[in-house]
Amino acid sequence: MLILQVLINGILLGGLYGIMALGMSLIWGVMNIVNIAHGPLIMLGAYITFWMFTLWGWDPFLSLPATVLLLFVYGYLLQRLVLNLIVRAQLFITLLITFGIEVVMVNLARIFWSSDLRQVTPTYAGANFSVGGLTIPYVRLWVFVTTIVLSVLFLLLMERTRLGRAIRATSQELRAARLTGIPVARIYAVTFGLGAALAGAAGTLWGMLFPITPIMGGQLTLKSFVVAVLGGLGTMMGPIVGGLVLGLAESFSSTYVGPTYPNAISFGLLVLILIFRPTGVLGKRERG
Amino acid sequence: MSMRRWVPLLVGALVLLVLGVAPTVVSPFILQFLINLFMLAVLAESWNIIGGFTGYASFGNVAFFGIGAYTTGVLLTRVGAPFALALPAGGLLAMLFAALVGLPILRLRGHYFAIATLGVAETMREVIYNIEVTGAGTGLVMPILRSPLPFFYLMLAILAAVTLLNWWLSESRFGYGLIAIREDEDAAAVMGINTPVYKTIAFSLSAVFAGLTGGVYAYWITFIDPDAVFKVIITVQMIIMAVFGGAGTVLGPLLGALVMASVSEWLSTHLVTLAELFNGLIVILVVLFMPKGLFDLIRHRPFSLRYFVKNLREYRI
Repeated sequence: MLILQVLINGILLGGLYGIMALGMSLIWGVMNIVNIAHGPLIMLGAYITFWMFTLWGWDPFLSLPATVLLLFVYGYLLQRLVLNLIVRAQLFITLLITFGIEVVMVNLARIFWSSDLRQVTPTYAGANFSVGGLTIPYVRLWVFVTTIVLSVLFLLLMERTRLGRAIRATSQELRAARLTGIPVARIYAVTFGLGAALAGAAGTLWGMLFPITPIMGGQLTLKSFVVAVLGGLGTMMGPIVGGLVLGLAESFSSTYVGPTYPNAISFGLLVLILIFRPTGVLGKRERG
Repeated sequence: MSMRRWVPLLVGALVLLVLGVAPTVVSPFILQFLINLFMLAVLAESWNIIGGFTGYASFGNVAFFGIGAYTTGVLLTRVGAPFALALPAGGLLAMLFAALVGLPILRLRGHYFAIATLGVAETMREVIYNIEVTGAGTGLVMPILRSPLPFFYLMLAILAAVTLLNWWLSESRFGYGLIAIREDEDAAAVMGINTPVYKTIAFSLSAVFAGLTGGVYAYWITFIDPDAVFKVIITVQMIIMAVFGGAGTVLGPLLGALVMASVSEWLSTHLVTLAELFNGLIVILVVLFMPKGLFDLIRHRPFSLRYFVKNLREYRI
């Protein structure tokens, strides 16, 4: 029975990891930017939710659309005004600038929200139900359902709309996309906005399960990266699958090995994947 | 050797001589600043070997710094070894670690390499956190040495050595091999360069100097904990200094370190709690306006604002 419980815990957490990585994978795939500020975007989403919850009493699930919208605008402006200026530079440069953005965001968060641990605890936070000996917290279940809904919406957006087609075209062949009249600079900004919006949603959900701190982002950037690589870049389902893999790996390892090595587990997994399944991971040559 | 090769060595020796007598004339405050400057310069120059010459964007070099610091620290405090033994041990262990980790990781390219190294550094921090002998999360307290002079001369000596190594790389067959890997790794392999061996050696050389500085730093600052010596920002500082001064050049990282040390000294005395925030802003501004570094700016004449505008336009979409 324990093994089944561990399995369920892993899957429920994996959905959240999936949606974290979806945003990172999108930005990486379309613009070749590995966004080190992805974790801080999740943090920002979490703090916005925290504010709306404590100041106005908004339920996190209901404030989710507002958070998503705010993060979209933030991401759009960041790409439009800053990142678009260096998007074609070498690898160090794009990594460094997103790192600079990370440092600025973390330090602003310290000023706005202090370094204290914050929590979003709606009344139903501790409630759970049992099915055949398995305990399932309501919050985790609803978080998981939300991640599935958001993933499906995102897939529909990418596959079925003109915007999604324009983003995919830009990612495949920048020059050709531009020649067919796609406003690529704006598409880049929208793409970053979408990635940030997904991060914001992940932040809202994360804040219901775990404490919120200004420095939570670093670890989440690493996790998002691992998940994006685990699932394989360039596929829409990749991050979701990768998220489930990481969720299960963490759930099993923390039960059977001990919970003190969360990053070591992520990176052990990453190295294994890179060694044993390098195709599709090493395949794509980097720019610059 | 021709004249042309002797000149930089002579100038270097002269600078070294001047710096060598500096402690007799400068104030203790300046002395501490200089030690810090030398440390940053060593880190920038050591990163330059793998990042600048070889073109592998390592985001995890702080791991070597931390390993050096902890090896020296543990040997000093737990084993009671003399510093003369503990310090080289730190450098050596960092080098071995780099060689071992480098073998699988240096097969990765671009972003994958960058993040894998970042992960290695983070994992090391976690491992140190969980080991008893290193004092786990509480850290290690070193014995206190009253005089700052040994640290000054040690840092200076390490800096001289790493700068000399960078200079040798810029002139030697081995260095050209690394540059060839940076420019086009597949072509370099076709030309007969044993790329895995070259890369691993470059990574290990980079590590040994970071490890040695880590060891000196630990003894100098007298207290280390995992968060302090495995901070990601230390790696980023290395990159910023090297890129800002001019990655892949011998003097660029030194210049970058000088500017960086001065700026962060100014920030931490004048802005105190906001220093880190401004450091972040500076990273962003430098990357936007001067992605090719200070040397490029100096070489660009006549100097005008148009230079920055041109840089802004160059990489935009």
